[in-house]
Amino acid sequence: MPEVSLRHITMRFGKVMAVDEVDLNIADGEYVTILGPSGCGKTTLIRIIAGILEPSQGEVYIGGKSMKGVPIEERDLGYVFQNIALFPHMTVKGNVSYGPTVKDRPMEEREQVAKKYLEMVKLLDKMGMFPSELCGGEQQKASLARALATGAKLLLLDEPLSALDARVRVDLRYELRRIAKKLGLTVVHVTHDQEEAMSVSDRIVVMRAGGIVESGTPEQLYTRPRDVFTANFVGETNLLEGWVKERHEGGSWIELRDNSVIMVENCDPQVGEAVVVSVRPEFVFPFTDGLLSRIEYLTYLGTFSRVSARSQSDDLVEFDVPSIEGKLYHPGQEVYLMFNRKAAVVYPRPIEGVSEAVKLE
Amino acid sequence: MEVQNGEYLCLLGPTGAGKTTLLRIISGLTKQDKGDVLFEGQLMNKIEPEDRRAVMLSQSYALFPQLTVAENILFGPDIREYDKDVKERTLADMLDLVRLTNRPDAYPSELSGGMMQRTALARALASGASVLLLDEPLRALDARLRISLRHELRSLAKSMGITTIHVTHDQDEALVMADRIAIIREGKVVQVGTPSDVFDNPASPFVANFVGQSNFFVGVVEEKAESTFVRGDSGHAVLARPCERRLGERVVVGIKVGNTEVHKEGEGYFDGTVERILFEGRNIYLDMDVPGLGRFSSKIPSWRLGRLAVGDKVNIKWSADKATVFAMPPGGLDKELRVE
Repeated sequence: MPEVSLRHITMRFGKVMAVDEVDLNIADGEYVTILGPSGCGKTTLIRIIAGILEPSQGEVYIGGKSMKGVPIEERDLGYVFQNIALFPHMTVKGNVSYGPTVKDRPMEEREQVAKKYLEMVKLLDKMGMFPSELCGGEQQKASLARALATGAKLLLLDEPLSALDARVRVDLRYELRRIAKKLGLTVVHVTHDQEEAMSVSDRIVVMRAGGIVESGTPEQLYTRPRDVFTANFVGETNLLEGWVKERHEGGSWIELRDNSVIMVENCDPQVGEAVVVSVRPEFVFPFTDGLLSRIEYLTYLGTFSRVSARSQSDDLVEFDVPSIEGKLYHPGQEVYLMFNRKAAVVYPRPIEGVSEAVKLE
Repeated sequence: MEVQNGEYLCLLGPTGAGKTTLLRIISGLTKQDKGDVLFEGQLMNKIEPEDRRAVMLSQSYALFPQLTVAENILFGPDIREYDKDVKERTLADMLDLVRLTNRPDAYPSELSGGMMQRTALARALASGASVLLLDEPLRALDARLRISLRHELRSLAKSMGITTIHVTHDQDEALVMADRIAIIREGKVVQVGTPSDVFDNPASPFVANFVGQSNFFVGVVEEKAESTFVRGDSGHAVLARPCERRLGERVVVGIKVGNTEVHKEGEGYFDGTVERILFEGRNIYLDMDVPGLGRFSSKIPSWRLGRLAVGDKVNIKWSADKATVFAMPPGGLDKELRVE
């Protein structure tokens, strides 16, 4: 039962506070992604769970047992690194059966286990090859099979797809989730890629500057993020500053900086409070009235095109149109923009300023 | 291949396709076995890299760690011994362009990844080159930051009027940034076109699947009219755009997952069962199992989440003008679609 529990984990490197008082519980069989920008502490955290690093303060529990002083090889977990770390002098099969070999399992069992997991990652036909004969995606599949073959029910994935091509990454992330669910594994997966996090996770934990910003299902974090940083980090969004003008059940008015007003369904801040409204580009649409904006440029994105416009108060507002309608819009053109009131999320205006609050690095 | 003056061209392809080699040949760092490189009609084959007026920016930026931002930017102008006021003006312009006006005295180790990237770019631009060669310039950055910097990098190059050739393996990046995309595979250019050409009119099943994912349907051309009527071995039939293929020829029909329609009511080309639903933010990604045909996928807006569930029976179709007909690839479809 490998549930994982982190209690008040703190990690200092000299004066740098890499992880600051983190508490986190991961349920048995849950696929959790720790998502955040470079330097947020996510890699430090997964290394602490693995036992590669000893935290300055706090404790890690796996399956209810304190891991204090327990080395990585006794924590019963599989670990996959960003930089594929296969033994170059061993065949794929040799690599995958490494765990069972170290544990002195009988020859027959090693063979069986290696074949079972190689089949699962669809590499059975490559088992006689050496790592250098495989392409990047295949090497990472072999690393995964090796981690699985240890029989561990807790799998730690440290940016497992970062070194791969974009297209290969997309195919492999579906495989990761499929296999984890099939084997009923508890997974902690670290990544800076929000698309990857959304498509593999039961739950995403967003980290920034050593702390947890919030956690939730991919859908919660995309549609109703509790923090404005998350709104911008998990998917792209328009951020419009304004004030709460009127507040009613089911519909409040927000006055924007150019004095136009937009309606939102949900608004926690009080009348007069400075706010920032987040609306994703797919929920903004041109209409006969609304926020007057001038189109600056269009970006072709395949099935849809993104139009980037500038409001009179100099805010960048982006909206999506089906690609066939793209030719209806051109730079310099003025449009009135409406916002889907159900999809708008209102936050109190951060004291440090919006751009500071959503800064990516 | 020709690249226009001031154009932003992306070389897109999987790892090992030959993208970086091509870039190095253009820069003069690698000597080609055969063929000519011309800049403005002038043969470059015997011209040394430093005399080509092409500057290459590598993945790792390679800033001088012992030099400040300003000193890194002025490295080229210093070597060329430009006048003091020319150098000052260049520096001010470059710092302004890459938004580093308040960090001229910082050392590379004090900068974030994005700032290092912008410094390297400023140094490249300050060298006075008229061709900018970018080798996966965003690869070392976080995914979200990469998305934010795409437009910025393109508009910098465009505002300088510099001809840019940008190597990437990321099809979204190429779609967003390029005036034209050249798709490279196994050492060959397989298609050159605008982002919408490449996405909507792919030259091969590989391109159809590499630039935005596609579903494929294999069958025989049975009828050619306003659209092409293709029947598969399983008896299912689909429609696609008009094509050059002969009646009776075995073909592959490609349809983008984003143009694959899924409905619970009405009739489609065939029926399937929803096997998996993945929430991806703006879209949800559906996998369906179609008896006799295997897996079909679809990308639909996420407001439809909750209206579809795993196990639902659905019908699948597309509008004929969105589907492309390809000749059956000589090595078979699976080999054609390999991305590694």
